[in-house]
Amino acid sequence: MFLTRSEYDRGVNTFSPEGRLFQVEYAIEAIKLGSTAVGIQTSEGVVLAVEKRVTSSLLEPSSIEKILEIDAHLGCAMSGLTADSRTMIDHARVEAQNHWFTYNEKIKVESVTQAVCDLALRFGEGAEGEESIMSRPFGVALLIAGVDEKGPQLFHADPSGTFMRYDAKAIGSGSEGAQGELQEHYNKSLTLKEAEVLALRVLKQVMEEKLNATNVQLATVTAEKGFRIHNEEETAAVITQLA
Amino acid sequence: MDHFPGNWGQPRSRDDHVFSSTDYFPGHNAYDVGSRAASGPAQRTQQPMVTGTSVLGITFKDGIMLAADTLASYGSLARFRDVQRIIKVGDSTLIGASGEVADFQYIEHILETLTIQEYDHDDGQKLSPRHIYEYLSRVMYGRRSNFNPLWNSLIVGGVKDGDRFLGFVDLQGTTYQSSTIATGYGAYIGQPLLRKAVEGREDELTEEEARKVLEDVMRVLFYRDARSLNKIQIATVTAAGSKITEPYELQTEWAFAEGVRGYGA
Amino acid sequence: MPITHEYQSASPVKAPVEHRFSPYTDNGGTALAVAGEDFCVVAGDTRQSEGYHINSRYQPKVFQLSNGSVLATGGMYADAVTLVKRLEQRLEWYYHQHEKKMSVDALAQMLSVILYHKRFFPYYVWNTLGGIDGNGKGCVFSYDPVGNYEKHHWNCTGSAGHLIQPFLDNQIGFKHMQGIQRRFLTPEEVVRIVKDSFTSATERDIYTGDYVEIFIVTAGGIDVQRVPLKRD
Repeated sequence: MFLTRSEYDRGVNTFSPEGRLFQVEYAIEAIKLGSTAVGIQTSEGVVLAVEKRVTSSLLEPSSIEKILEIDAHLGCAMSGLTADSRTMIDHARVEAQNHWFTYNEKIKVESVTQAVCDLALRFGEGAEGEESIMSRPFGVALLIAGVDEKGPQLFHADPSGTFMRYDAKAIGSGSEGAQGELQEHYNKSLTLKEAEVLALRVLKQVMEEKLNATNVQLATVTAEKGFRIHNEEETAAVITQLA
Repeated sequence: MDHFPGNWGQPRSRDDHVFSSTDYFPGHNAYDVGSRAASGPAQRTQQPMVTGTSVLGITFKDGIMLAADTLASYGSLARFRDVQRIIKVGDSTLIGASGEVADFQYIEHILETLTIQEYDHDDGQKLSPRHIYEYLSRVMYGRRSNFNPLWNSLIVGGVKDGDRFLGFVDLQGTTYQSSTIATGYGAYIGQPLLRKAVEGREDELTEEEARKVLEDVMRVLFYRDARSLNKIQIATVTAAGSKITEPYELQTEWAFAEGVRGYGA
Repeated sequence: MPITHEYQSASPVKAPVEHRFSPYTDNGGTALAVAGEDFCVVAGDTRQSEGYHINSRYQPKVFQLSNGSVLATGGMYADAVTLVKRLEQRLEWYYHQHEKKMSVDALAQMLSVILYHKRFFPYYVWNTLGGIDGNGKGCVFSYDPVGNYEKHHWNCTGSAGHLIQPFLDNQIGFKHMQGIQRRFLTPEEVVRIVKDSFTSATERDIYTGDYVEIFIVTAGGIDVQRVPLKRD
C-alpha cells in the first residue's frame, strides 16, 4: 500500500521523501519540553547548571538528579526524557572504565561523547541475527563536560547521534532564550567563578519559578578537582552574586 | 544492555568454513561450536596416517626450486608410490608438503577455492607468493588454535615482481623464511648440505646447479630415510612462471652393498 | 585408563611415536631493552630455533610498532606474530577512535590486558616493550605470557636472559660497584654493551646467534643496526 505523506513518521528507520527521519526529529522536539540545562566552558574548567522543576511542595528536590558523574574527570547534564539517559550514562560510565582498564589512562571527553552517540543510533530493528534493544530514539539530550589532555571541553549530544563542541550551550525548554543570553555574555577569558554566575543568571532568566538553591543544580569539572556537584550552600553562595 | 561496541550488530559474518574471524583476522575463535556439537563428536587429527616425508626448498639466481619424492607411506608401509606432494598455486607460487597427505589435499582444495575466488574478482590483482603464504599460515595457526591441526610441514616458494620468496609453515603455525628449507628427515640430513651449497651463493647459483644440489640431497635422503623413494619431482619457479617435472627416478649406486658383510650375498 | 607408552611397536626397533598434539613450541632467542634518559635501546637476535634445529638465521622477532615503540618477543614465534598483528590492529583502531597515537604506557597496559584475556590458552610469548613515554623519558616494560608486567630501566629475557641480566645489572645499573659515579649512559655506550652482551651469550647459548638487531629509539625516530654474530 502506498504510504501517505503523514505516514512517514511511523517507522523509525523510514526516510520521508524529503529525506527526513521524523521520529528522530520528534525526539529532538521532546527535549524542548525538558527543563533547561546550561553548560559553559572556560580555560579553568567547565560549568554545568540545570533547572529542577519542583512541581509540588511535597516533592523532595534533592531526588531530582539531572547532573551526573560519568568518571572522575567527566560530568553530564541532561534535558528531555531523563529516564532515557540512564542507558546512555550507564554506557558512558562503562566506556570510561573500560578505557581506563585497558589503557590505564583517562578517556577523552570527545571519545566518551562519541561512544554515547554510537549508542543513540541503535534504535530500530537491529542487524541480522542481532537482537534489537531499543524501539525508538532517545528522548534526551546531553551536555557532556570534562577535562582531558586537550583541556576543559563541553560537548552537546542529541538523539540523532550528532555531537558538537561548544564554548557555551543551553538545551531544554528555555534553550532559545538561554542560548541568546550565552551568546551575548560569553567570552573566552571568563573565569570558572564568573561562568558559574553566568550559568545561573541565564537559568534565572528562563525559569518560570523563582531561582533558589534547591531548584537549581550546579557542577564543575576542573583539572584539579575533577567532577564536583555543588551542595546547597555552595549553590546559595553563587546565587548571592546574581544581584 | 551490551556495553561493548565490538559485540554490536555484526551485519554479516565474514567467516568462511576454514576459520573464524570475529577478531577481524583468522585464528582465534572456534567456528560454529553449536552446529558442530549437534552433528556428533568432532573428528580431529590426533596423529597422521598416510604421510609424505621430506620436502626441500632452495633459492637460486633466478628463483626458487623445490624437491620431494612421490611416496605416501602408511606407517612403515610404502602405501602409495605415485602421489604428487608439490603443487602449483596460481602462476608464481609452489607449495610442497610433508606430513598427512589427506590434510595436504584438503589444503590444495582450499587454495584452489581461494584462487578461483580471486580469479572471479577479475580486478587485475594476482595473489603473490607472500599473500598465499600469509593466508596459509593463518589457516594453519587458526587450526592449531582450535586444537584441530592440519598435520603438515609446508614449504611455499615463489617469484613475483622480481621478489623471490621461500617460506615454511607447519601444523603449529610456526613460520620462517630462509634461503634453504628442509622438512621432516631432510631437516636433519638435508639442511646442512643445502646450507653448504646455497648460503651466500643465492644470487650466483644457476638453475642447473640448483637442480644438481637438490638431486644430490634427495639421493642422500633416499639412502638414509627409510620412508623415502627414489622417484622424485623437482619444481621450479622463476619470473617466467612455474613448472613441475614429471616424476622421475634418481640414479643410485648399490654396488658397495656387495662389500658389506651381512648384506646381500 | 590405558597407559599410553612413549614407544609403541612390536618390532625390536623402538621408534618414538608422537601421541598427542601440542599447540606450543619454543623457538628460543634472546631479547633485551635498556631505557636511557631520553632514549631507549631494544635488541634481539634473529635466530629461530626448534629443538636442535636452526630454522632460520634471520627471522626477526623484534618489531617496530606503529606508535613509535618497539616490541621484542621470545618463546613461540607463531604466537608472537599473531600477538603483534593484533597489537597493530588495536593501535590503528585506537588511532582512529581517539585521534591520537597510543602512548607507550597505554600500550603497556593494553598488552597486559590482551595477554590476560588468553589466561587459559596463553600466547606463549615473553614480551619486552621499549619506547619513549609521555614525559620524553626512555621506558622498558617486561611481561610473562599471561600478562604480569613490570616497568624497568633495563631487562633481558629469553634463552640467554639469565646470562645477560646480571651483566646488564652491572654495566647499566652499576650494581656491585663501589666508589663509582652513577649516571645515565649515552646511546653509544648502551649499544656497545648490547653488542658485548649478545656476542658473549652466543658463545654459551645454542639458541642465540646469527645476527643481533638493535633498535635505538629517540624522540627523532628509530635507528636500526644489524650486527653479525657467530653462526654455530
